[in-house]
Amino acid sequence: MSKVKKNLVHYQDLIIKIREFFYSRKVTEVKTPSLLFSPSTDVYIDSIEVKVNRDISRPTDLYLHTSPELEMKRLLSKGSGDIFQICQVYRDNEYGSNNSNEFTMLEFYRIDFDMHSLVDEIIDLLKMLGKTDAAIKISYAQAFFEYGNIDILNADLEDLKKIANSLGLNSDYDWIEDLQTLLFVHLIEPKISQIPICFIYDYPKEQSALAKIDGPIAHRFELYINGIEIANGYEEIQSADEYRDRFNNELYKRKMIEKKKLLVDEEFLRDIKVGLPHCSGVAIGIERLFSSISL
Amino acid sequence: MNYSTSQFKNGLKLILDGNPCSIVNNEIVKPGKGQAFNRVKFKDLITGKTLEKTYKSGESLEGADVMELEMQYLYSDGEKWHFMEPESFEQYDLSEESMGSAVDYLVEQDICTVTLWNNNPITVVPPIQVILEVIDTDPGLKGDTAGTGGKPATLNTGVVVQVPLFVGIGDKVKVDTRTNEYSGRA
Repeated sequence: MSKVKKNLVHYQDLIIKIREFFYSRKVTEVKTPSLLFSPSTDVYIDSIEVKVNRDISRPTDLYLHTSPELEMKRLLSKGSGDIFQICQVYRDNEYGSNNSNEFTMLEFYRIDFDMHSLVDEIIDLLKMLGKTDAAIKISYAQAFFEYGNIDILNADLEDLKKIANSLGLNSDYDWIEDLQTLLFVHLIEPKISQIPICFIYDYPKEQSALAKIDGPIAHRFELYINGIEIANGYEEIQSADEYRDRFNNELYKRKMIEKKKLLVDEEFLRDIKVGLPHCSGVAIGIERLFSSISL
Repeated sequence: MNYSTSQFKNGLKLILDGNPCSIVNNEIVKPGKGQAFNRVKFKDLITGKTLEKTYKSGESLEGADVMELEMQYLYSDGEKWHFMEPESFEQYDLSEESMGSAVDYLVEQDICTVTLWNNNPITVVPPIQVILEVIDTDPGLKGDTAGTGGKPATLNTGVVVQVPLFVGIGDKVKVDTRTNEYSGRA
């Protein structure tokens, strides 16, 4: 068998196994649009804009989805129950050997799961895919304490600037979450690169994204395989009002760093007016997962 | 001249904490929800130490005017080591401290690589293989030509190298300067 054929078959096996995993757990496969009217408001994720002729006279600006998250949340709010999707997603301004402007994402939502039950399900999925190493679960605060001797949840912007300076790093950041991320990339990631499967959970509330906030922390987690970020998940916020607040916060930050002005997706907020059921969801980068499994 | 993170690549020479450094590894890290960073490994060209720093993408650093030139080693006056660039006949000198382990291997006329920072020499790398003369060693056992054992020998630069038993005073030997190992008779 040629090397190309062998790789294609390996990849196909992975996709088949993932589908079987979810089918056997009664999770429904869905397909949502990838051409959207509203771009993602994520501060550091940029949508690719495309001109589409929907009318003979003038082209319309549409956006390729950066993740199927909001479209899947529309389904959840309408009573879809547990759902999963494997799709191609597109992002502008991605650089580096581990990033690409287009990649495959597995995204799934589980009703009545809290963050920890979702983490456990991902561990089951990894096992089924042949990744049987022991999984380490460590909170964001524990990781900083253990690998950097830093009390990250009680450190304010000035404390973190001092720490960055003491490491010889530029501390010219306006937001605490950017300094937290700088220190995570500089101090923690190189340490967890020794760990085959590492879940980091309970992110500081400033990095909540769309995860439920509980005091100083948000119920958000990431999966790192040998130091490479593979998955990002949340125990999801439920009410339309909360979504509006998070989007507005992102738009404010985009404005402060002089990124293109975007609007809140009112149609989305209208569609989820009744709210989401209590659920947790996660996005997994399939190419990165594939390369970590076939190591 | 300043270089932005998008221009970073292996071998690029930059000023870090006042010292000229060379990039040995440049990794772009873009957390899913965070901004992009460059995690960079540097080698300090003066101390030889490795450093790791992380920059937000778009940050820039001052370039270091560093050049590597082939030069001929001329002589040492006891304090300074003197070199000449054979094309321009320009002469440069280095202190024993900057010479590092190169003092163990250089004999007059040898061609080596000298690194200049702002036109001042900062380090010297001797040729990978040099030919040196044994000036002191214990006599070997008669008939031992296989070189099964070894013994220390002092060479004409003062460096001590393990040599096979058959090597005697006055012999010329090849030495690998990266490992300080005997690599044959010259």
